[in-house]
Amino acid sequence: MNKNKLKFVIGSVVIILAVILLAVQGMEEDTTMSYSKSVSEVHMLGERAKSLTLKVNGDLKKGSIVRNNLDLDFTIVEGNSELEIHYIGKDPIPDTFNNEMDAEVIVSGKLKDDGIFHAERIQAKCASKYEADYTSPEV
Amino acid sequence: MADLGNILLFFLFPISVFTALTAYAAGVTKRRGLLEAARRGAYAAFAVTTLAVLALEYLLVTSDFSIEYVASNTNLALPLFYKMVALWAGHNGSLLLWTWIVTMFSAIVAYQHRHKNNDIMPYVIFTIAITMTFFSVLSVFIANPFETLYQEIGNTLQEFAVQDGRGLNPLLQHPAMIIHPPILFIGYVGSVVPFAFAIAALITGKLGTGWIHTTRRWALTTWGFLSVGIVLGGKWAYVELGWGGYWAWDPVENASLLPWLTATAYLHSVMIQERKGMLKVWNMALVISTYLLSVFGTFLTRSGIVSSVHAFANSGLGPAFAVFIGLSTILSILLLLYRRKDLKPDEEMESLVSRESGFLFNNLLFLLATIAVLWGTLFPVISEIFTGDQITVGPPWFNNIMIPIGLALLLLTGVGPLLAWRHTSVETMKRSFGYPILGSVVLVIILFFVGVKDGWALGSFAISFFVMWTIVVEFIKGAMVRRKNSGENFLKALYMLSRKNTRRYGGYIIHVAMVVMFIGFTGNAFNSETRAEVAEGDSFQLGPYDFKAIEIIHDQNDNYSAETLIMEMSRNGRLISTISPQKRYYFASEQPSTEVDIYTTLREDIYAVLSGMSNDGEKVIVQVYRNPFVSMVWIGAFILVVGTLFAMLPNYRESKSGGAK
Repeated sequence: MNKNKLKFVIGSVVIILAVILLAVQGMEEDTTMSYSKSVSEVHMLGERAKSLTLKVNGDLKKGSIVRNNLDLDFTIVEGNSELEIHYIGKDPIPDTFNNEMDAEVIVSGKLKDDGIFHAERIQAKCASKYEADYTSPEV
Repeated sequence: MADLGNILLFFLFPISVFTALTAYAAGVTKRRGLLEAARRGAYAAFAVTTLAVLALEYLLVTSDFSIEYVASNTNLALPLFYKMVALWAGHNGSLLLWTWIVTMFSAIVAYQHRHKNNDIMPYVIFTIAITMTFFSVLSVFIANPFETLYQEIGNTLQEFAVQDGRGLNPLLQHPAMIIHPPILFIGYVGSVVPFAFAIAALITGKLGTGWIHTTRRWALTTWGFLSVGIVLGGKWAYVELGWGGYWAWDPVENASLLPWLTATAYLHSVMIQERKGMLKVWNMALVISTYLLSVFGTFLTRSGIVSSVHAFANSGLGPAFAVFIGLSTILSILLLLYRRKDLKPDEEMESLVSRESGFLFNNLLFLLATIAVLWGTLFPVISEIFTGDQITVGPPWFNNIMIPIGLALLLLTGVGPLLAWRHTSVETMKRSFGYPILGSVVLVIILFFVGVKDGWALGSFAISFFVMWTIVVEFIKGAMVRRKNSGENFLKALYMLSRKNTRRYGGYIIHVAMVVMFIGFTGNAFNSETRAEVAEGDSFQLGPYDFKAIEIIHDQNDNYSAETLIMEMSRNGRLISTISPQKRYYFASEQPSTEVDIYTTLREDIYAVLSGMSNDGEKVIVQVYRNPFVSMVWIGAFILVVGTLFAMLPNYRESKSGGAK
């Protein structure tokens, strides 16, 4: 290997290592990783759930939304499991979000000691829900 | 009409197979007659798919609600224009659009080369026909848009029609969404052409730069469409999704970025191959990856393997795509290995400080960016395989890696073109870079004292300034030299200079576009926002802006009902505009939709969202974002289009008698 090639290889290795470092360092940050779980899986995690950033999906419990000025509380369900959500985020609340609708919801945030999930982000899956099953109106 | 559409679509499959087989046979036997047959096959495939698309359009426009696709994506009250574009609003229809574009490109390529390149054309048509076959299988057997609604009565299935359809998803009722999918698809599908030529070159062993020259315009056009498609997607997200931003590293967004990264790398590295005969394997790999990533992007959007806000429902296409991508990858790699001896470089790298190494580092960074985005996008899948936990990495992770890589690439944009081939001396570097570096340092000091403290933002502004300077100097210096030699005035000299090497100067224009877009991206470092609950007459503040709620209006039409908040916006006490965010409720789809209102200046966007009503209905919740420099992103995209078109112009050749010298 000639000298110039060596210099180039060294330069490349430095860049590659720098990027790997950024990738790994990014992963360690508490805020960048979140574990996707369903409501029942969150309950199965027990205490461990409180140490993780979670992305929980479930169905909106009809009639559970309580708005109080800028505060928002609601419950998501999966089968028999329920999870109370308190929204602490700043983003506007998604469109599918009101008490009349069937909505599948993904909340991101942390489970607190009182068992209430503090959500920083709420996503309502509408676009995919939209095409899901076409049921005939009546038979 | 549905039956006709079905039959037409059904013909596509045997025609594609016929085209692929005859093309392959033509390659092996070198018989012109077979090649001609394959060519006709490509035309026929385009013809039947076009008719099938027209049939579906007819069903959509006439609102035939016995067809599931029509019933799911349109309704009677929908404006005619949206009924027509509902062709690509849903999963099955957009797949048909994909298929249609493939057949269109294959027909165009077959026609363009009807009198030339007879040695490689059989394999070019063969490769495209294989893709066509794959998509025809999907469109006919798995995701057929002509499927009728049926129900079970006793033991028989009976067709039925609904009174009115479910309507077009409100999120899609927007102009940017209307042109975004076809443009992005053209970008995706366009990558099949360079790919097909690369594969044909590998099969036939004609590995010169012939295939590269032949596909240069295709590669550039495809790249341009992909770029515009990505930006339009961002624009759509910005004005339609109502969260105040245009890019969130969502899997679907990443899917469109991935082939763009490899395509951009290719457009650069190909210059080294043409000039120095190096990187032959690498260029092949980039063309192949761009194609595979395009198909992968389509797969990601439709398979449901990674959850995304605007993904299609899990459609059962996953396994078919996985097999197709897997086989294509393996076969491509085998072909590359088979020809590796013929792809040896003609020259070796000479110096670390040279144009070649500039290109190499550019490619390394693009490769790392591609791997990083791919890794982050697939991390939920990867982590589930290895740890059993599905872990998503969020936007901060992507930004952490992509901002440094992006800035390094931007820096190379300024440095690279000024480095000489083979080797650049320290003297030349001082001459080229001295003043721009000094200028950037001064800029950083000024910005710092003006109040910009964010390190990344300062770096980004400094690099943008540096790059802009070097590019402007390139244009001016070139034009001055030309003016001296030819006696033309400065503007004429500038124009002639660019026209004589459109590829180089078009490239510079695109680099300017990237700088402008990066200034727009950097604006994100200074975003601010506020949220307020207001009744008529209430006011609130954001930075120097005051907002006063004037009126809350309720009204409706056939398609939707709407609530609008009208606010007066003033800056430092002076009234500048009204701003009126709206919330709609679409009757057919029973879906609400947020219509943001954006007040745009070059300096910043004021972006208002009506997020909801309070419990008593007297008050509304409004969210206002102040986003600096967003319009730079759209302006940059426009410049990018101009640069791309310019780079595609043929070089102007001066006659010997006049002009030069």
